[in-house]
This record gives sequence, structure tokens and C-alpha cells, in this order.
Amino acid sequence: MSSARQSTGFAFIAPLLVLMLVAFNAPIAYMLGLAFWDKAHGFTLEHYAGLLEAPVYLRVLGNTMRIALVATLANIVIGYPLAHWMRGLQNRARLVAIALVVLPFWVSILVRTYAWIVVLGNGGLVNRALQWLGLTDQPVQFLYNELGVTIGMANVLLPFLVLPLFAAMIRIDDRLLQAAASLGAPPRTIFWKVYFPLTVPALAAGTLLVFMLCLGFYVTPAILGGGRVPMVSNLLDTLINQIPRWEQASAISTILLIVALVIFAAYRRLDRKASAT
Amino acid sequence: MIGASPWSRRLLAASGIFGLVFLAVPILIVIPMSFSSARALTFPPPGLSLRWYAALFGDSRWMEAMATSAILAVLASIAALLLGGLAAYGLRRGSFRGRDGAEGNFMAPLIIPTIIVSIALYLGLARVGLLGSFLGLVVAHTVLNVPLVLMVMGVAIREFDPRIEQVAWSLGASWSHTMTRVVLPNLAPSVFAAWIFAFIGSFDEVIVTSFIAGRYQTVPKKMFNELILEVNPTITAVATLLIGLTVLALAAVAAILARAGKLKQTLV
Repeated sequence: MSSARQSTGFAFIAPLLVLMLVAFNAPIAYMLGLAFWDKAHGFTLEHYAGLLEAPVYLRVLGNTMRIALVATLANIVIGYPLAHWMRGLQNRARLVAIALVVLPFWVSILVRTYAWIVVLGNGGLVNRALQWLGLTDQPVQFLYNELGVTIGMANVLLPFLVLPLFAAMIRIDDRLLQAAASLGAPPRTIFWKVYFPLTVPALAAGTLLVFMLCLGFYVTPAILGGGRVPMVSNLLDTLINQIPRWEQASAISTILLIVALVIFAAYRRLDRKASAT
Repeated sequence: MIGASPWSRRLLAASGIFGLVFLAVPILIVIPMSFSSARALTFPPPGLSLRWYAALFGDSRWMEAMATSAILAVLASIAALLLGGLAAYGLRRGSFRGRDGAEGNFMAPLIIPTIIVSIALYLGLARVGLLGSFLGLVVAHTVLNVPLVLMVMGVAIREFDPRIEQVAWSLGASWSHTMTRVVLPNLAPSVFAAWIFAFIGSFDEVIVTSFIAGRYQTVPKKMFNELILEVNPTITAVATLLIGLTVLALAAVAAILARAGKLKQTLV
């Protein structure tokens, strides 16, 4: 019985395994080959040496890191209070709040990015409000610069932080907090000594996930940056579609792939820890 | 928090509401803008009209893109559902060497930045001469949506008591009979949810499609290309239709799952 189960189990995954090997693993392997291979010399690191020599690559890398960091920080600053507030809501209000977080998660990233052009444009809602309040005479330039890209990315990624954080927060037993209060701890102490430490694994996991997603962002910088805020993905687009330099694109992709896998491994460790508490 | 002062409660509520507004407002603003009578993207719209919908439905290129997107999403979501559903069953019920590795590999398209998948697929498809082919698009969209199917079906199969299947076998039911008469009817709501998620995933996919679609236009690809060039209010109509599609699909999933949950309760 059990040996029959083993073989049938494998038969169920075999069709998908074949598709993945052909249409996913093989292309990735081919890309790695292009990054490290040269027809004349065999194994080579010259495509990587080429990356270090051109200042444009380092500038784009710096851009990407800076935007990713700021967008991730913005996510924490907005997301943590939001998740914490949702934990304290009553049933119906909490359901509405969850729906408002989940819905954007599923709406096309293009729609969400495009919406910011409408909201942040010179005649948009935010600029109209600022002028009406008398805070500024001239429209503030939000779009086609780093600020716009950062706002757009923070918006798109916020559900990725809020949902796991909220899940970790509602698992915290209220009696734990009551116990701290009955022992005379003031609210501030309860929050920082009891509540916050329990949310740290989920916060760290969510932060890593958001940061990793930021590094590979393509659509939002292309649209809200107006071509003036190139990130790694946009550089890759140029190297594939405009000036074909496949080896260099493969070399950059390989670095990005390794960084993403390292961050993901750290994320998995933290996520297990967060689920265990 | 227990015993927190009214001020800190108010501050927390204010920042929570700000977060929700930040998430939801862009989506909610686009909808009224699509009914604007003006060309400029000013809010609130100076007047109401359906001109951007008329422009959209009167444009044969948009209609063509919609048809392409719909056909692609139907084919890729069904392929992902079949292959992913079978694989989810094998992963949850079977035990064979390398199971965790296989599962990790199947989930990888969701984890690896999409831009890397796009470039690998571009290079790979170019190598075998399938760049810009419809077959290449269907295969790529299938690979991208398999993780969604695995997640939904994996949970559903884990929660479905294996003893029910064992009872069917011990009563003499064949494998196929057990599958079609016992397993699938019980999993039907999740199968539907997985299919919907895969369909939306494919219908909304923009990055891989932009790289490998060649002359094929899908709705997201066309939208992306137009947004880079100029801001045309017709896009607000497209965006509103996409939001409507997503809301309908999620509502359908929620309704089906809720009904199934109630069904279980009434049976017990």
C-alpha cells in the first residue's frame, strides 16, 4: 500500500515537473550560462568586470538601494500602526479594514500605479488640496522623480507587510497584556516590553519581503519615474530590448537572483519563527 | 492597548485610518475620473460623461487586446489549474524523495523577482525560436500562475480528511472513481477559487508579457506602453474595468467559499 502511494504521488507531480524543467529551470540555467560563459574562453567573469567599469551600473544600483530602503521604511511607519489599529477593531469594522487591505493586493499593479498619476499630478487631488489649504502656490512636483516612485512602491507593497503583521498581532493573547497591567506596568511599558517584542519576528519577515520585492520592481519606476529614475529592472529592460547586451543583462540578473534568494532564505527563517510564537 | 490614554488611542486611530486611505484612495479616485467629461486629469471631474468608455469600446486595438488577454488567461489558468491541482495532490498525499525540493521549485516563480523570470524566458524563448509566439505566452503564464494554484489547492487538500478517500478505496472504488466522485466534489469551491486567482493573475500580468509577447497586445501590455508615452484618459476607463473585474472575481470567490463553509456546518 505505502509503496504504491509513493509512486502514485510522484506521478501526480510529473506533468508539472516536466513543464517547469523545460519552461522555467532550463531558461534560468541558460541565463546563468550566458552570465558565466564565453564562446572563446569557456568560464569567464569578464561580464562582471564590465559591470564594475561602467559608472552607470553603480549609479543605478545606488538608486535602487536608496529607493528600496526608503519605501521599506515608509511601509513600516505606515503599516505597523495600521496593523496594530486593526487588531483593536470590533468584528465588522475589522472585516471592512481587512477587505480594504486585501482588495488593493489583487488589483492590477498597473492600475494602482496609474492611479497615483491621477492623484499626484499637477491638477490632482493632493496638489489641489495643498493649494486650497494655502500651503503652496505652485503645484508640488510629485511625479517623474524619486519621490513619486517611492510613494507608488510603498503603496503597492503595503499589503505584503500589513497582512502578515496583522496575523501575528491577533495571535497575541490579551491575557498576557492584562497580566502585565495587573502587575502594574504602564501602557507604554506593556507595549514596548511585552507586545512589541512578540511582533518583531513578523515585522522583520515582512520588512525583508518588502525590501526584496522593491529590488526587482519594474512597472512603478517605469511609469512614475518617467524614465528619469532608473532602477535595476529598468536597466535590465534597456540591456535586453534597446541595446541588446544579453551577457551583461544575464550577469546583472544573476546577482539580483542571488541577492533575492539570500533575502528569501532569511525571510523563511524569520517567518517560521513568527508562526511559532 | 490596555489602559492607553485617549490621546494615544486617537493618534493610533488617525494613523490607522491614514494607512487605509493611503491604500484605498488611489483605486477609489480612478473610478469617478473614468466618468469625467474633461481631457485633463483634474479632480473632481468638471462634468460627467461616458466618452472614455466610448473611446475604449470604439477602438479596435483595445478590443483586440481584450480578446487576446481573455483567451490567454483562459488557456493559461486552465493549464495551471490542471497541472497545479494534480501536483498539489501529489505533494500533499504522496511521499517521495525530493518532494520539498519539487515544491520549492514550483513556488519559485512567485519568489524570484519577476524581472529575472522575464529575462530568462526572453533569452530561452529566443534561443528556441518561440519569442513572440502565442504558445510561448501561454506556457509562460502557466508557469507564473502555478504557485497560486498550489497555495490554494495545497491548503484545501491538507484540510480534506484522507480517511474519506481510504473509505472509498476500501469499499472498492477505483482511483478515478474516488477522484471524480469523492475528492473533486469536496474540493470544488477551492478549485473554483484557484481558477479565479490564476485567471486574474494571468489577465493582469504585465512584466513577462511585455518582454516575450512580440506583436501580441494584451490589455496590461498596451496599458503599460501607453502610460510610458502619454497619459490618456481612456486608461481610466480600462483601469475601472479592471478594478470591477477584480472586485467581481473576489466577491465570487468569497461567496462560494462562504457557502461551502455553511454547507459543511449544515452537514455536521
